[in-house]
Amino acid sequence: MKKKYALFPGCLMPTEQYAYELSIRETLPILDIELVDVEGFSCCGEPMKSVNQLLTLYLSARNLAIAEKHHLDLFVPCAMCHLALTECQHILTENPAMKDRINGMLSAEGLQYTEKRHLVHTVDLLHDEIGIQKIKDHVKKPLNGLKIAAHYGCHILRPSEIGRPDDSENPQKIEALLKALGAEPMNYPQKLDCCGAPLLANLPESALTKTGQKLQAIQEQGIQGLVDVCPWCHKMFDSRQAKAGETVAAKLDVPVVYLTQLLGVALGIPEEKLGLDLNLSPVEKLQLGAAK
Amino acid sequence: MSIIDLTSMGEPQSDQRKELNDRLTKLRDEISDYCFQCAKCTSGCEAHKLLELEPHKIVALLKRGLLNELVNADVIWTCMTCQKCRERCPQRVAPIEILFALKNMAVASGKQIPGKYTAMLQSILSMGLIQDIQQITTRTNKTAKREELGLPPISKPADVAKFQAGIMKIAMEKV
Repeated sequence: MKKKYALFPGCLMPTEQYAYELSIRETLPILDIELVDVEGFSCCGEPMKSVNQLLTLYLSARNLAIAEKHHLDLFVPCAMCHLALTECQHILTENPAMKDRINGMLSAEGLQYTEKRHLVHTVDLLHDEIGIQKIKDHVKKPLNGLKIAAHYGCHILRPSEIGRPDDSENPQKIEALLKALGAEPMNYPQKLDCCGAPLLANLPESALTKTGQKLQAIQEQGIQGLVDVCPWCHKMFDSRQAKAGETVAAKLDVPVVYLTQLLGVALGIPEEKLGLDLNLSPVEKLQLGAAK
Repeated sequence: MSIIDLTSMGEPQSDQRKELNDRLTKLRDEISDYCFQCAKCTSGCEAHKLLELEPHKIVALLKRGLLNELVNADVIWTCMTCQKCRERCPQRVAPIEILFALKNMAVASGKQIPGKYTAMLQSILSMGLIQDIQQITTRTNKTAKREELGLPPISKPADVAKFQAGIMKIAMEKV
């Protein structure tokens, strides 16, 4: 039985974090997830929360209303987008007056938000919807005990009161998934530390320092690489790793991959289809091609 | 349609400011009842060590009514929005929500919007997303763009005028 989801791409993944999108589109259909491309989505609004929270709420509701028009649940691979949309559903359910007000604005585009939709992120889609056993059954090239650490990203863990994909203080779903792929997940004290991305807009130097500090800690602990599940976190840890190293005066060379890229390798998909040549960190050190 | 309509850099947005003021007053009333300054929020704050943000002090200052001082303080823009303060508060106070409201107030009061927020907002208004499709460089220094990688066309608002009309209502509507 195929499960059907509208893919909510957000801004960052479809405009620059192509490796995430490529690996998502390659892997999920193998695991019986049908991704539907829907026209007309916009920014989720989360990046504008500091400027105008009503704008954030409006943009989130607008995207949910588009999914509603197509009678589809949403797969939201970006942690920021996932939080914005979840929070929007929470607020509009708790506050009917705000729901009416937002719907008044949505009428400009002939849209309407009426009820909650099922929202999943990469982590709960893989762990809860598809399930560990099914993933194990599809593994063709186990990852040979690769010692790798997980970075969850703040926005998929908190605030727990509105429902998040994993536990706020001791998340373990990525670790369980890594084990299913034949890797050896590593624990480390900085696991819940922020990637720094939310400060990119106004304090980029500090944002990169945050990134550098976490990567440096990982490097010093002899961990082989880092896995992430958010285009913002990945932009910091992978795309900006060299600059992040400068802020902490360290030569960083930590391979950073999307969980869906590792999943793809384990499922036997060729590296080039998973966008592994797009990662700027030294992913060749993981010797993924050698995995059997 | 421009940012000036949406923030207040042209003329002061009294309606928006009034609404924010109500929100902050409400937050302040809740805090007065619950926050006992245990500083658990600050102990976990991602911006604390690096940028000296102390959420419990933000709460204390709001409690004392020092709204103008807070709105004009640069430190409110150091929050990394990690949500740890909201998650861990034993009294269910959410310093992060206070910080969002303070930043919104700073913008609505006509203070300069810091950094790239203006550019991102402008991009959302003109095409629906915070940035357009980027050409990227691979690890082996080749260039690549979305369509060359075999990815389908990007999802974005088809009718930008209608999209803007919706957002315009936020700037226009009377609270």
